[in-house]
Amino acid sequence: MGPWLATAARLLLGGVLVVAGALKIPDPAAAERAVRAYQLLPEGLVGPVAFGLPVLEIAVGLALFAGVFVRTAALGAAALMVVFLVGVVSAWARGLQIDCGCFGGGGEVAPGETAYPGEVVRDTALLLVALALARRPRSRLALGGPPAADVPPDPAHPTELTDAR
Amino acid sequence: MPASPSQQSRRASARQRIENRRAAEAAARAAAERRRRTVIGGVVAGVVLVVALVVVIVVQMQRTATSDAAAVPADTAADGTVVEVGADDGAVPVDIWADFQCPACQRFHQVNGETLEQLADEGTLQLRYHPIAILDRYSTDAYSTRSLNAAGVVVDAAGPEAFAEFTDLLYANQPPEGGAGLSDDELIELAAQAGATGDEVEAGIRDLVFEDWTARITEEASRQGVTSTPTVLVDGEPLDLRQATPATITALVEAAAPE
Repeated sequence: MGPWLATAARLLLGGVLVVAGALKIPDPAAAERAVRAYQLLPEGLVGPVAFGLPVLEIAVGLALFAGVFVRTAALGAAALMVVFLVGVVSAWARGLQIDCGCFGGGGEVAPGETAYPGEVVRDTALLLVALALARRPRSRLALGGPPAADVPPDPAHPTELTDAR
Repeated sequence: MPASPSQQSRRASARQRIENRRAAEAAARAAAERRRRTVIGGVVAGVVLVVALVVVIVVQMQRTATSDAAAVPADTAADGTVVEVGADDGAVPVDIWADFQCPACQRFHQVNGETLEQLADEGTLQLRYHPIAILDRYSTDAYSTRSLNAAGVVVDAAGPEAFAEFTDLLYANQPPEGGAGLSDDELIELAAQAGATGDEVEAGIRDLVFEDWTARITEEASRQGVTSTPTVLVDGEPLDLRQATPATITALVEAAAPE
Protein backbone atom coordinates (compact mmCIF):
# COMPACT_ATOMS: atom_id res chain seq x y z
CA MET A 1 0.00 0.00 0.00
CA GLY A 2 1.53 3.29 -1.09
CA PRO A 3 1.71 6.14 1.39
CA TRP A 4 -1.12 8.07 -0.23
CA LEU A 5 -3.32 4.99 -0.36
CA ALA A 6 -2.57 4.46 3.32
CA THR A 7 -3.63 8.04 3.97
CA ALA A 8 -6.91 7.40 2.17
CA ALA A 9 -7.40 4.22 4.23
CA ARG A 10 -6.70 6.13 7.46
CA LEU A 11 -9.19 8.87 6.62
CA LEU A 12 -11.89 6.42 5.50
CA LEU A 13 -11.58 4.11 8.49
CA GLY A 14 -11.06 6.97 10.96
CA GLY A 15 -13.95 8.94 9.54
CA VAL A 16 -16.37 6.01 9.70
CA LEU A 17 -15.37 5.17 13.28
CA VAL A 18 -15.60 8.75 14.57
CA VAL A 19 -19.02 9.25 12.98
CA ALA A 20 -20.31 5.86 14.16
CA GLY A 21 -19.09 6.51 17.70
CA ALA A 22 -20.33 10.09 17.88
CA LEU A 23 -23.83 9.11 16.74
CA LYS A 24 -24.16 6.73 19.70
CA ILE A 25 -23.40 9.36 22.35
CA PRO A 26 -26.49 11.63 22.31
CA ASP A 27 -29.07 8.92 23.14
CA PRO A 28 -27.57 6.51 25.69
CA ALA A 29 -30.90 4.74 26.27
CA ALA A 30 -31.03 3.83 22.57
CA ALA A 31 -27.41 2.64 22.71
CA GLU A 32 -28.33 0.31 25.57
CA ARG A 33 -31.32 -1.04 23.67
CA ALA A 34 -29.14 -1.64 20.60
CA VAL A 35 -26.61 -3.67 22.61
CA ARG A 36 -29.34 -5.54 24.47
CA ALA A 37 -31.06 -6.43 21.19
CA TYR A 38 -28.16 -8.74 20.26
CA GLN A 39 -29.04 -10.86 23.32
CA LEU A 40 -25.38 -11.73 23.81
CA LEU A 41 -24.46 -9.96 27.05
CA PRO A 42 -25.71 -10.29 30.61
CA GLU A 43 -27.77 -7.28 31.69
CA GLY A 44 -24.97 -5.97 33.93
CA LEU A 45 -22.61 -5.56 30.97
CA VAL A 46 -25.12 -3.96 28.60
CA GLY A 47 -24.62 -0.43 29.95
CA PRO A 48 -20.81 -0.40 30.13
CA VAL A 49 -20.50 -1.90 26.65
CA ALA A 50 -23.14 0.42 25.18
CA PHE A 51 -21.45 3.48 26.66
CA GLY A 52 -17.82 2.35 26.33
CA LEU A 53 -17.78 1.10 22.72
CA PRO A 54 -18.46 4.55 21.22
CA VAL A 55 -15.50 5.95 23.21
CA LEU A 56 -13.22 3.25 21.79
CA GLU A 57 -14.54 3.88 18.28
CA ILE A 58 -13.93 7.62 18.58
CA ALA A 59 -10.46 7.14 20.12
CA VAL A 60 -9.33 4.71 17.42
CA GLY A 61 -10.92 6.88 14.74
CA LEU A 62 -9.20 10.05 15.96
CA ALA A 63 -5.82 8.31 16.11
CA LEU A 64 -6.25 7.11 12.53
CA PHE A 65 -7.45 10.50 11.41
CA ALA A 66 -4.50 12.28 12.99
CA GLY A 67 -2.03 9.62 11.96
CA VAL A 68 -0.65 8.81 15.40
CA PHE A 69 -0.09 5.23 16.59
CA VAL A 70 -1.43 4.18 13.22
CA ARG A 71 -0.50 0.51 13.44
CA THR A 72 -1.96 0.12 16.94
CA ALA A 73 -5.07 2.05 15.95
CA ALA A 74 -5.48 -0.02 12.78
CA LEU A 75 -5.26 -3.21 14.84
CA GLY A 76 -7.80 -1.72 17.26
CA ALA A 77 -10.11 -0.89 14.36
CA ALA A 78 -9.71 -4.44 13.05
CA ALA A 79 -10.58 -5.81 16.50
CA LEU A 80 -13.69 -3.60 16.65
CA MET A 81 -14.77 -4.81 13.22
CA VAL A 82 -14.33 -8.43 14.28
CA VAL A 83 -16.50 -7.77 17.36
CA PHE A 84 -19.18 -6.10 15.20
CA LEU A 85 -19.06 -8.92 12.65
CA VAL A 86 -19.44 -11.56 15.34
CA GLY A 87 -22.45 -9.67 16.70
CA VAL A 88 -24.15 -9.14 13.36
CA VAL A 89 -23.49 -12.65 12.01
CA SER A 90 -24.69 -14.25 15.22
CA ALA A 91 -27.85 -12.13 15.22
CA TRP A 92 -28.43 -13.11 11.60
CA ALA A 93 -27.79 -16.78 12.33
CA ARG A 94 -30.19 -16.72 15.27
CA GLY A 95 -32.86 -15.09 13.12
CA LEU A 96 -33.13 -12.00 15.31
CA GLN A 97 -35.03 -9.12 13.77
CA ILE A 98 -32.71 -6.25 14.63
CA ASP A 99 -30.83 -3.37 13.15
CA CYS A 100 -27.10 -3.47 13.89
CA GLY A 101 -27.25 -0.09 15.62
CA CYS A 102 -23.93 0.62 13.94
CA PHE A 103 -24.63 4.31 13.47
CA GLY A 104 -26.80 5.02 16.48
CA GLY A 105 -30.40 4.05 17.03
CA GLY A 106 -31.80 1.46 19.36
CA GLY A 107 -31.39 -1.63 17.20
CA GLU A 108 -35.08 -1.62 16.29
CA VAL A 109 -36.17 -2.38 12.75
CA ALA A 110 -39.48 -2.19 11.01
CA PRO A 111 -40.83 -5.73 10.61
CA GLY A 112 -39.02 -7.69 7.89
CA GLU A 113 -36.51 -4.93 7.21
CA THR A 114 -33.24 -6.34 8.48
CA ALA A 115 -30.12 -5.49 6.45
CA TYR A 116 -27.64 -8.14 7.54
CA PRO A 117 -25.95 -8.79 4.16
CA GLY A 118 -25.10 -5.12 3.66
CA GLU A 119 -23.88 -4.77 7.24
CA VAL A 120 -21.63 -7.83 6.91
CA VAL A 121 -20.18 -6.65 3.58
CA ARG A 122 -19.48 -3.18 4.97
CA ASP A 123 -17.82 -4.41 8.14
CA THR A 124 -15.77 -7.00 6.23
CA ALA A 125 -14.54 -4.36 3.79
CA LEU A 126 -13.56 -2.09 6.68
CA LEU A 127 -11.84 -5.01 8.41
CA LEU A 128 -9.72 -5.63 5.30
CA VAL A 129 -8.84 -1.94 5.09
CA ALA A 130 -7.80 -1.99 8.76
CA LEU A 131 -5.64 -5.08 8.30
CA ALA A 132 -3.94 -3.64 5.22
CA LEU A 133 -3.24 -0.45 7.14
CA ALA A 134 -1.83 -2.39 10.09
CA ARG A 135 0.51 -4.15 7.68
CA ARG A 136 1.68 -0.93 5.99
CA PRO A 137 0.93 1.96 8.36
CA ARG A 138 3.30 4.41 6.66
CA SER A 139 1.29 7.26 5.15
CA ARG A 140 1.32 10.91 4.18
CA LEU A 141 -0.19 13.76 6.17
CA ALA A 142 0.31 11.95 9.46
CA LEU A 143 1.23 13.70 12.70
CA GLY A 144 3.19 10.74 14.02
CA GLY A 145 5.17 8.10 12.23
CA PRO A 146 5.46 4.37 12.64
CA PRO A 147 8.46 3.37 14.78
CA ALA A 148 11.64 3.87 12.84
CA ALA A 149 12.67 0.25 13.32
CA ASP A 150 9.60 -0.97 11.44
CA VAL A 151 10.00 1.20 8.39
CA PRO A 152 13.34 1.76 6.69
CA PRO A 153 13.89 5.31 5.45
CA ASP A 154 12.37 5.80 2.04
CA PRO A 155 14.96 7.55 -0.12
CA ALA A 156 12.33 8.44 -2.70
CA HIS A 157 10.51 10.68 -0.23
CA PRO A 158 13.16 12.23 2.00
CA THR A 159 10.96 15.16 3.08
CA GLU A 160 7.97 13.14 4.04
CA LEU A 161 5.97 14.54 6.92
CA THR A 162 6.21 11.31 8.87
CA ASP A 163 9.93 11.75 9.09
CA ALA A 164 9.79 15.39 10.09
CA ARG A 165 11.06 14.67 13.57
CA MET B 1 55.53 22.43 6.13
CA PRO B 2 52.84 21.55 3.60
CA ALA B 3 51.39 18.06 3.92
CA SER B 4 52.15 15.59 1.22
CA PRO B 5 49.22 14.40 -0.93
CA SER B 6 49.24 10.97 0.75
CA GLN B 7 49.08 12.56 4.23
CA GLN B 8 46.21 14.76 3.06
CA SER B 9 44.23 11.79 1.80
CA ARG B 10 44.82 9.86 5.06
CA ARG B 11 43.57 12.84 7.06
CA ALA B 12 40.56 13.17 4.83
CA SER B 13 39.57 9.56 5.25
CA ALA B 14 40.10 9.80 9.05
CA ARG B 15 37.83 12.85 9.12
CA GLN B 16 35.34 10.96 7.04
CA ARG B 17 35.33 8.03 9.49
CA ILE B 18 34.82 10.36 12.45
CA GLU B 19 31.95 12.11 10.69
CA ASN B 20 30.35 8.80 9.84
CA ARG B 21 30.60 7.67 13.43
CA ARG B 22 29.15 10.92 14.70
CA ALA B 23 26.31 10.70 12.22
CA ALA B 24 25.59 7.14 13.34
CA GLU B 25 25.62 8.19 17.00
CA ALA B 26 23.32 11.11 16.26
CA ALA B 27 20.96 8.81 14.39
CA ALA B 28 20.96 6.35 17.29
CA ARG B 29 20.26 9.16 19.76
CA ALA B 30 17.44 10.45 17.56
CA ALA B 31 15.96 6.97 17.30
CA ALA B 32 16.18 6.49 21.07
CA GLU B 33 14.53 9.88 21.54
CA ARG B 34 11.75 8.92 19.12
CA ARG B 35 11.18 5.65 20.95
CA ARG B 36 11.11 7.48 24.27
CA ARG B 37 8.54 9.95 22.93
CA THR B 38 6.47 7.14 21.45
CA VAL B 39 6.41 5.33 24.78
CA ILE B 40 5.49 8.49 26.68
CA GLY B 41 2.87 9.37 24.09
CA GLY B 42 1.46 5.86 24.25
CA VAL B 43 1.22 5.91 28.04
CA VAL B 44 -0.43 9.35 28.01
CA ALA B 45 -2.88 8.27 25.30
CA GLY B 46 -3.69 5.10 27.23
CA VAL B 47 -4.35 7.01 30.45
CA VAL B 48 -6.50 9.58 28.63
CA LEU B 49 -8.48 6.76 27.00
CA VAL B 50 -9.15 5.01 30.31
CA VAL B 51 -10.21 8.27 31.96
CA ALA B 52 -12.49 9.08 29.00
CA LEU B 53 -14.04 5.60 29.19
CA VAL B 54 -14.78 5.90 32.89
CA VAL B 55 -16.14 9.44 32.63
CA VAL B 56 -18.39 8.67 29.66
CA ILE B 57 -19.73 5.45 31.19
CA VAL B 58 -20.55 7.21 34.46
CA VAL B 59 -22.16 10.21 32.74
CA GLN B 60 -24.25 8.03 30.41
CA MET B 61 -25.39 5.86 33.31
CA GLN B 62 -26.58 8.98 35.09
CA ARG B 63 -28.34 10.16 31.94
CA THR B 64 -30.23 6.86 31.61
CA ALA B 65 -31.02 6.46 35.30
CA THR B 66 -34.69 6.91 36.12
CA SER B 67 -35.89 7.85 39.55
CA ASP B 68 -37.58 5.09 41.52
CA ALA B 69 -39.98 7.72 42.76
CA ALA B 70 -40.99 8.67 39.21
CA ALA B 71 -44.70 9.23 38.79
CA VAL B 72 -46.67 6.34 37.26
CA PRO B 73 -49.99 7.07 35.54
CA ALA B 74 -53.06 5.76 37.34
CA ASP B 75 -55.13 3.02 35.68
CA THR B 76 -52.08 1.19 34.34
CA ALA B 77 -51.11 -2.41 35.08
CA ALA B 78 -47.87 -4.37 35.45
CA ASP B 79 -45.95 -1.60 37.20
CA GLY B 80 -47.19 1.02 34.77
CA THR B 81 -46.04 -0.76 31.62
CA VAL B 82 -49.45 -1.86 30.36
CA VAL B 83 -52.76 -0.16 29.66
CA GLU B 84 -55.48 -2.82 29.63
CA VAL B 85 -58.62 -2.33 27.58
CA GLY B 86 -61.38 -4.85 28.16
CA ALA B 87 -61.81 -7.31 30.99
CA ASP B 88 -59.33 -10.16 31.43
CA ASP B 89 -62.16 -12.41 32.49
CA GLY B 90 -61.31 -15.49 30.40
CA ALA B 91 -60.46 -13.20 27.48
CA VAL B 92 -57.53 -13.90 25.16
CA PRO B 93 -54.67 -11.45 25.87
CA VAL B 94 -53.46 -9.48 22.86
CA ASP B 95 -50.28 -7.54 23.66
CA ILE B 96 -49.21 -4.66 21.42
CA TRP B 97 -45.89 -2.81 21.71
CA ALA B 98 -46.06 0.32 19.60
CA ASP B 99 -44.64 3.80 19.18
CA PHE B 100 -46.97 6.64 18.20
CA GLN B 101 -44.33 7.87 15.71
CA CYS B 102 -44.03 4.48 13.98
CA PRO B 103 -45.64 4.25 10.51
CA ALA B 104 -45.92 0.44 10.64
CA CYS B 105 -47.80 0.79 13.95
CA GLN B 106 -50.14 3.28 12.33
CA ARG B 107 -50.79 0.88 9.45
CA PHE B 108 -51.39 -2.02 11.83
CA HIS B 109 -53.77 0.08 13.88
CA GLN B 110 -55.68 1.39 10.87
CA VAL B 111 -56.12 -2.09 9.42
CA ASN B 112 -56.81 -4.02 12.62
CA GLY B 113 -57.58 -1.54 15.37
CA GLU B 114 -61.32 -1.48 14.93
CA THR B 115 -61.60 -5.28 14.92
CA LEU B 116 -59.43 -5.54 18.03
CA GLU B 117 -61.47 -2.95 19.90
CA GLN B 118 -64.71 -4.62 18.91
CA LEU B 119 -63.48 -8.02 20.12
CA ALA B 120 -62.33 -6.36 23.33
CA ASP B 121 -65.78 -4.81 23.78
CA GLU B 122 -67.37 -8.23 23.32
CA GLY B 123 -65.05 -9.64 25.97
CA THR B 124 -63.41 -12.09 23.56
CA LEU B 125 -59.97 -10.53 23.98
CA GLN B 126 -58.23 -8.12 26.27
CA LEU B 127 -56.10 -5.47 24.61
CA ARG B 128 -52.86 -4.90 26.46
CA TYR B 129 -51.18 -1.76 25.14
CA HIS B 130 -47.44 -1.45 25.85
CA PRO B 131 -46.73 2.01 24.48
CA ILE B 132 -43.02 2.80 24.08
CA ALA B 133 -40.88 5.68 22.81
CA ILE B 134 -38.01 4.52 20.61
CA LEU B 135 -38.19 6.89 17.65
CA ASP B 136 -37.26 10.26 19.14
CA ARG B 137 -34.49 10.69 16.58
CA TYR B 138 -37.04 10.60 13.76
CA SER B 139 -38.57 13.91 14.80
CA THR B 140 -37.06 17.25 15.57
CA ASP B 141 -38.85 17.57 18.91
CA ALA B 142 -38.67 14.10 20.51
CA TYR B 143 -42.25 13.40 19.46
CA SER B 144 -42.13 9.74 20.53
CA THR B 145 -41.49 10.72 24.12
CA ARG B 146 -43.86 13.70 24.08
CA SER B 147 -46.75 11.73 22.59
CA LEU B 148 -46.19 8.84 25.01
CA ASN B 149 -46.10 11.25 27.94
CA ALA B 150 -49.38 12.76 26.71
CA ALA B 151 -50.90 9.26 26.50
CA GLY B 152 -49.77 8.70 30.09
CA VAL B 153 -51.49 11.92 31.11
CA VAL B 154 -54.69 10.83 29.32
CA VAL B 155 -54.87 7.39 30.96
CA ASP B 156 -54.02 8.95 34.31
CA ALA B 157 -56.81 11.51 34.02
CA ALA B 158 -59.51 9.65 32.12
CA GLY B 159 -58.77 5.90 32.11
CA PRO B 160 -58.02 3.13 29.59
CA GLU B 161 -60.99 3.81 27.28
CA ALA B 162 -59.82 7.39 26.83
CA PHE B 163 -56.30 6.05 26.25
CA ALA B 164 -57.62 3.84 23.43
CA GLU B 165 -59.49 6.80 21.94
CA PHE B 166 -56.35 8.96 22.23
CA THR B 167 -54.35 6.20 20.48
CA ASP B 168 -56.84 6.33 17.59
CA LEU B 169 -56.47 10.09 17.35
CA LEU B 170 -52.65 10.02 17.53
CA TYR B 171 -52.43 7.54 14.67
CA ALA B 172 -54.99 9.47 12.62
CA ASN B 173 -52.83 12.58 13.08
CA GLN B 174 -49.41 10.92 12.96
CA PRO B 175 -46.73 13.38 11.82
CA PRO B 176 -44.37 12.17 9.09
CA GLU B 177 -40.90 11.09 10.21
CA GLY B 178 -38.14 13.65 9.97
CA GLY B 179 -40.02 16.81 10.92
CA ALA B 180 -41.69 18.30 13.96
CA GLY B 181 -44.30 16.25 15.77
CA LEU B 182 -47.66 17.53 16.94
CA SER B 183 -47.28 20.56 19.18
CA ASP B 184 -48.21 20.51 22.85
CA ASP B 185 -51.33 22.53 21.97
CA GLU B 186 -52.35 19.93 19.40
CA LEU B 187 -51.74 17.09 21.88
CA ILE B 188 -53.87 18.92 24.47
CA GLU B 189 -56.61 19.35 21.86
CA LEU B 190 -56.55 15.62 21.00
CA ALA B 191 -56.50 14.71 24.69
CA ALA B 192 -59.64 16.79 25.15
CA GLN B 193 -61.31 14.98 22.23
CA ALA B 194 -60.43 11.70 23.94
CA GLY B 195 -62.05 12.92 27.14
CA ALA B 196 -59.12 14.20 29.18
CA THR B 197 -59.41 17.88 30.00
CA GLY B 198 -58.43 20.32 32.68
CA ASP B 199 -55.46 22.32 33.90
CA GLU B 200 -53.73 19.24 35.21
CA VAL B 201 -53.89 17.54 31.80
CA GLU B 202 -52.51 20.64 30.09
CA ALA B 203 -49.69 21.03 32.60
CA GLY B 204 -48.91 17.30 32.44
CA ILE B 205 -48.53 17.41 28.67
CA ARG B 206 -46.50 20.63 28.61
CA ASP B 207 -44.22 19.72 31.54
CA LEU B 208 -43.66 16.07 30.54
CA VAL B 209 -44.66 14.89 34.02
CA PHE B 210 -44.39 11.25 32.98
CA GLU B 211 -41.09 11.57 31.09
CA ASP B 212 -39.25 9.22 33.46
CA TRP B 213 -42.10 6.76 33.09
CA THR B 214 -41.74 6.83 29.29
CA ALA B 215 -38.02 6.03 29.64
CA ARG B 216 -38.66 3.25 32.15
CA ILE B 217 -41.38 1.42 30.23
CA THR B 218 -39.36 1.71 27.00
CA GLU B 219 -36.39 0.16 28.78
CA GLU B 220 -38.67 -2.54 30.18
CA ALA B 221 -39.86 -3.45 26.67
CA SER B 222 -36.24 -3.69 25.53
CA ARG B 223 -35.46 -6.04 28.40
CA GLN B 224 -38.41 -8.17 27.32
CA GLY B 225 -36.80 -8.51 23.89
CA VAL B 226 -38.93 -6.12 21.86
CA THR B 227 -36.77 -4.93 18.95
CA SER B 228 -39.32 -3.81 16.42
CA THR B 229 -42.61 -2.01 16.43
CA PRO B 230 -45.30 -3.02 16.30
CA THR B 231 -44.70 -6.26 18.17
CA VAL B 232 -47.97 -8.11 18.68
CA LEU B 233 -48.60 -11.24 20.76
CA VAL B 234 -51.88 -13.09 20.50
CA ASP B 235 -52.27 -15.29 23.56
CA GLY B 236 -48.50 -14.95 24.06
CA GLU B 237 -47.62 -16.04 20.53
CA PRO B 238 -45.92 -13.56 18.17
CA LEU B 239 -48.18 -12.45 15.35
CA ASP B 240 -46.71 -12.53 11.85
CA LEU B 241 -47.41 -8.95 10.79
CA ARG B 242 -47.24 -9.75 7.08
CA GLN B 243 -50.35 -11.84 7.50
CA ALA B 244 -52.12 -9.65 10.05
CA THR B 245 -55.61 -8.92 8.83
CA PRO B 246 -58.85 -8.61 10.78
CA ALA B 247 -59.80 -12.10 9.53
CA THR B 248 -56.54 -13.83 10.55
CA ILE B 249 -56.47 -12.09 13.92
CA THR B 250 -60.09 -12.98 14.61
CA ALA B 251 -59.37 -16.61 13.69
CA LEU B 252 -56.31 -16.71 15.96
CA VAL B 253 -58.21 -15.18 18.86
CA GLU B 254 -61.13 -17.57 18.42
CA ALA B 255 -58.74 -20.52 18.24
CA ALA B 256 -57.12 -19.38 21.49
CA ALA B 257 -60.38 -18.61 23.28
CA PRO B 258 -61.64 -21.20 25.76
CA GLU B 259 -64.83 -22.87 24.54
